[in-house]
Amino acid sequence: MRLFEYQAKELFKAYGLPVPRSILARDVDAIRGAFASLTPPVALKSQVLAGGRGKAGGIALVDDPTDAEREAARIFSLSIGGEKPNALLVEEAYPHDSEMYLSVSLDRGDRAFVTIAAMAGGIDVESMSGKVMRRVPLEGIDEKYAEEVASLLKLPASQSAQFVKILLSLERLSREKECELAEINPLAVGKDGTLMPLDAKVIIDDNALFRHPEFAKLHPEDEFEGEASRQGFAFVRLGGDIAVVGNGAGLVLSTLDLVGDAGGNPACFLDLGGGAQQERIEAALRLVNRLPGVDRILVNIYGGITRTTDVATGIITVLNEGGMKPVYARVSGAEEDEARRLLDGTPVLLYKTAPEAVEAVVKVE
Amino acid sequence: MIIPKKGDAVLVQGITGRYGRLHTKLMLDYGTNVAAGTTPGKGGQSVEGVPVYNTVAEAVEKSGALASVCFVPAEFTYSAGEEALNAGIRLLVLITEHVPIRDELKLVQLAQSKGASMIGPNCPGIIVPSQKVKLGIMPATSFSPGSIALYSRSGTLTYEIAGQLTGSGLGQSVAVGIGGDPINGTTPIEWMDFVQGMGDTEAVVVVGEIGGDAEERLARHIQKSGYRKPIVSYIAGRHAPKEKKMGHAGAIIYGDYGTADSKIKALTGAGVKVAMAPSEVPLLLKESLG
Repeated sequence: MRLFEYQAKELFKAYGLPVPRSILARDVDAIRGAFASLTPPVALKSQVLAGGRGKAGGIALVDDPTDAEREAARIFSLSIGGEKPNALLVEEAYPHDSEMYLSVSLDRGDRAFVTIAAMAGGIDVESMSGKVMRRVPLEGIDEKYAEEVASLLKLPASQSAQFVKILLSLERLSREKECELAEINPLAVGKDGTLMPLDAKVIIDDNALFRHPEFAKLHPEDEFEGEASRQGFAFVRLGGDIAVVGNGAGLVLSTLDLVGDAGGNPACFLDLGGGAQQERIEAALRLVNRLPGVDRILVNIYGGITRTTDVATGIITVLNEGGMKPVYARVSGAEEDEARRLLDGTPVLLYKTAPEAVEAVVKVE
Repeated sequence: MIIPKKGDAVLVQGITGRYGRLHTKLMLDYGTNVAAGTTPGKGGQSVEGVPVYNTVAEAVEKSGALASVCFVPAEFTYSAGEEALNAGIRLLVLITEHVPIRDELKLVQLAQSKGASMIGPNCPGIIVPSQKVKLGIMPATSFSPGSIALYSRSGTLTYEIAGQLTGSGLGQSVAVGIGGDPINGTTPIEWMDFVQGMGDTEAVVVVGEIGGDAEERLARHIQKSGYRKPIVSYIAGRHAPKEKKMGHAGAIIYGDYGTADSKIKALTGAGVKVAMAPSEVPLLLKESLG
């Protein structure tokens, strides 16, 4: 779960990390008050989870309240990577000479957490030159470790002590809150040499949320995503017109590819999960049938532990309730002959292979 | 890596739960010698005729099991895995989904320190068709004995592709789901190196998906080590959006990191034939095998 910048900065404060003074504004009306309590110039920063908000015009630097309100209204009307900002962080600008990068993140290939630090902030960590990378032991780092990173960066003594404190706090936050990523980019170096995190990116390990109830329900959930998660489905909205439903994440992902290759636009990704039962396919079909924009449904099932006959019965039950969008299905695997017999003579459009079902569902105008 | 053989005694952790019971039966039906189960507090019961013990130590002592299939819920997977490795389990198969990353890392370290093998978490397990042995939840009907080794980050896609191989007369020497999480107990490189030494394996199928850089690392390893067996791959997620978890915890693209295109490019560059759809896998394999 990715936190909004303002949430990540609250966490930073709780861990003793410095952050610029700021106030969260949820609408244009709140901007004037926020502006009045801060020292200009201030940055208006859209609170979105999508990347590239700067490029999309989601950040503005303003000097006076009139500009602030005008810019705030502009930013609130933006859609950044499909996301509308629900709030702006109004933050005192921090004059600085240079920028650094610092993060504690999961290195999947090395199966370890790593500290990454560099003397230049930037977008592309992969290609950062002169970056320092060190493994983080599972039990955490000590002062000596942080001092070594500072010395590899060749930081002057005055900045080294600040850097050590920042890295120790960031690593403790990452470990205690079970983050996949805790990142400061940029870490500004002020004119007087003071280090100041200007942006904060924190991603919490979803699977560890049961140990961190404080993060539960931080995000307003989309109605459909909320229902899908209560039903135990893996579900992602995609915006097209063909709902894609299947059993198993990899199988559904591969079905999206078939649909995309054929020129179709998936409306969603819905993975029923392993061992899917009749009630689960019924619940899934009812859910995607209500999803705005959907006008047909593609079901791709490979039966194994999931009984294809249960799936067939579930589809028929939902169709009999009426009001269903057309269902295109490929039902293969264990007991498929019996499943096909059940579906024969129903309105379900049944195909032998996934590519055939995809071709048919995409072709419809 | 340890490949299970016919007759090897196998332990099921969490045997009295719904999935534990169901899959104990299905493993027994296939031919796996499930010799013991554990659920704390349920010692003395039996499931499908398999005796249940309170602790792994006791189960190992009574049954001689060196391999365990673990169905314990995510909150308790770490302690179950730790108990198994400390009790002398040499092959730990973790089926459970939603295990926290730091628990996985701790288990990987413990398994390494014990010299034990770990498969998963969030995986269907391992099957050896010629031995009629499966440690996991895959449907037996998709698999048949043969000379193709298959590994995958996904469950159902493993069955789908194994089913297509079987339908094309290409049986499997071994198939393993390494797991859909960011951390895998057995990495693709470890797996591929092991398979290279398997005498009964002629070719390898690599099923990957978006997220991370396991396939890119594997591609570099294939080139550097001069891998000697033909490899056919399929990578799911070419049309997946960025920054969205696509079902599996590990299937997520961050920025330009973890895209299907990057993986396909790396694998193709290493001489691997990459299928654009699961149905192409058997065709490319037949081409490779001549």
